[in-house]
Amino acid sequence: MPVVELTVNERAVRVDVAGHWTLIQLLRDGLGLLGTKEGCGEGSCGACTVLVDGRLTRACLALAVRAAGTRVTTIEGVATDAALHPIQDAFVRHGAIQCGFCTPGLVITAKALLDEHPRPTDHEIREFLSGNFCRCAGYNLILNAVRDAAGLLTEKR
Amino acid sequence: MILRPFEYVESKTVDEAVTALRSGGDDARVIAGGTALVPLMKHSVLRPERLVSIARIPGLADIAPATAGGLSIGGVATHWAVSHAKVVQERSPLLAYACGRVASPTVRSMGTLGGNLCYGESASDPSPALLALRATVRLHGPGGARTVPITEFFTGFYATALHEAEVLTRIDVPAMPAGARWRYLKWTPRAQEDKALVGLAAMLVLDGRRCRLARLAVGGVGASPMVLARAEAALRDHELDEATIARAADAAAGEVEPMDDLQGTAEYRRDMLRVWVRRVVTGLTEERAA
Repeated sequence: MPVVELTVNERAVRVDVAGHWTLIQLLRDGLGLLGTKEGCGEGSCGACTVLVDGRLTRACLALAVRAAGTRVTTIEGVATDAALHPIQDAFVRHGAIQCGFCTPGLVITAKALLDEHPRPTDHEIREFLSGNFCRCAGYNLILNAVRDAAGLLTEKR
Repeated sequence: MILRPFEYVESKTVDEAVTALRSGGDDARVIAGGTALVPLMKHSVLRPERLVSIARIPGLADIAPATAGGLSIGGVATHWAVSHAKVVQERSPLLAYACGRVASPTVRSMGTLGGNLCYGESASDPSPALLALRATVRLHGPGGARTVPITEFFTGFYATALHEAEVLTRIDVPAMPAGARWRYLKWTPRAQEDKALVGLAAMLVLDGRRCRLARLAVGGVGASPMVLARAEAALRDHELDEATIARAADAAAGEVEPMDDLQGTAEYRRDMLRVWVRRVVTGLTEERAA
C-alpha cells in the first residue's frame, strides 16, 4: 500500500492509500475528513471541490498518489477555532444553505474566487461558481452570500 | 464511484513515458490532468491496467514565446495556465479566450491542453481555435519525434493521428497576423458549463471590407473538430457584404456532417452553424481592427 505524505489544512500528514484511490478517498477514508462530499463522482457537480496548492481541484478526479508533496485545503481548514471564515459567515446570514451537500464545495470555490479576484465582478462570480451545482437550486442566495463576503453589498447601502 | 485497481507510473522524462506505454501495450494509457480519463475509467468505458503519468515531467507544462511572434506550449499546461498566461493573452488572444471557456474553473485548473487534444472530442473548445490558428503538435513515440499539423491530427469520432505509445509533448502556435479580428463563439443549448453544440473559432484579416485572410473552424458539430474550408474560400478575397457572408454560412452548413445526440439533432446543429457563421463574420466585419 503506498504511503502519501502531504500537508492537509496546514498539518503535515502521512496516509496509507490504495494505488487506485482518488483524493476524496484519501481525505474521507484515509484521514476521516468528512466535510468534503462526493456528489456525482465524475467531475461534473463540484461538491468535492478542494484546493491543491491553491488551485481548484475536483477531489473525485484527482488521483490520491499524485497528492504527494502538495498542500491541500478542505472545508475543515477554512474556519479558525475562533470564527467562521467570512464566506461561511455570509452563507449563514443569507441562508444560502438548504440541504448543505453542495456547501463545502461552494465555500471552497468562493474562497478561490476571492483569493484571485478580491473585488469580483458579477460575471466573475457567476463564472467561478458555474461548475458547482446546488440541486436545492438556492442560487440567488448563494450569489448574494458571495457578493456580501466580497464586500459588494455593504458598499451599496 | 470508485476506480478499478491499476498500476501507476510517474514518468520523469518523455522517453520513460514512451517506454512504459510501449511495454504496457493496449492496457496502458497516458494520464495528464485526468479530467477526461478518470470519468471514463469510473464508468468502465476504459479499463487500463497501467496509467502512465506525464504530468510531472520537467518542462512539459511551460508556456513560452516562440520565434516570429508565436507560442510554444507544453502538452500538460492546464487550460487555466494557458488562458491566464500573459504571453498567450498578448500573442494569441483567440487561444487564451477559448481555453478560458472549457467547462468550469475547476476543470480548467486540472485539465491540460494536450490532454484535451488527445481525447479527440468534437466539442473541444481549444481545438477549433488551434485549427483556425493552424497550429502544429509535436509527438514523441518509440520511433522518435514527429510534427503533425493540427489540421491532420483529428481523424474521426474520438480518433486522432496518435500512434501507439506516442505522447503529445508540445503545441506550436503561429502568430496571429497583424490586425487580425477574432472570435470564439460557444453555443450551448442549456448551461454555461455544457459542452459546445457549436464551438466556432473565427479569425479574419480585412482590408476595408475586402477579406485578405479567413480562418473558420468548428467543434461540436461533426465527428471531430474541423476547418470550414469551403466557408473560408467563400470569404477569402471577397468583399464581405451580406450576400457573400450568407454564401459562406451556407457553405459551412453544407460541408459538415453533423451528429444527432441528446444535446441536439443533426439538423439543429447544421442550422445553428449557419446562423453563427453569419452572425460571427458579420460582427467581425463591423468591429474595428484590433
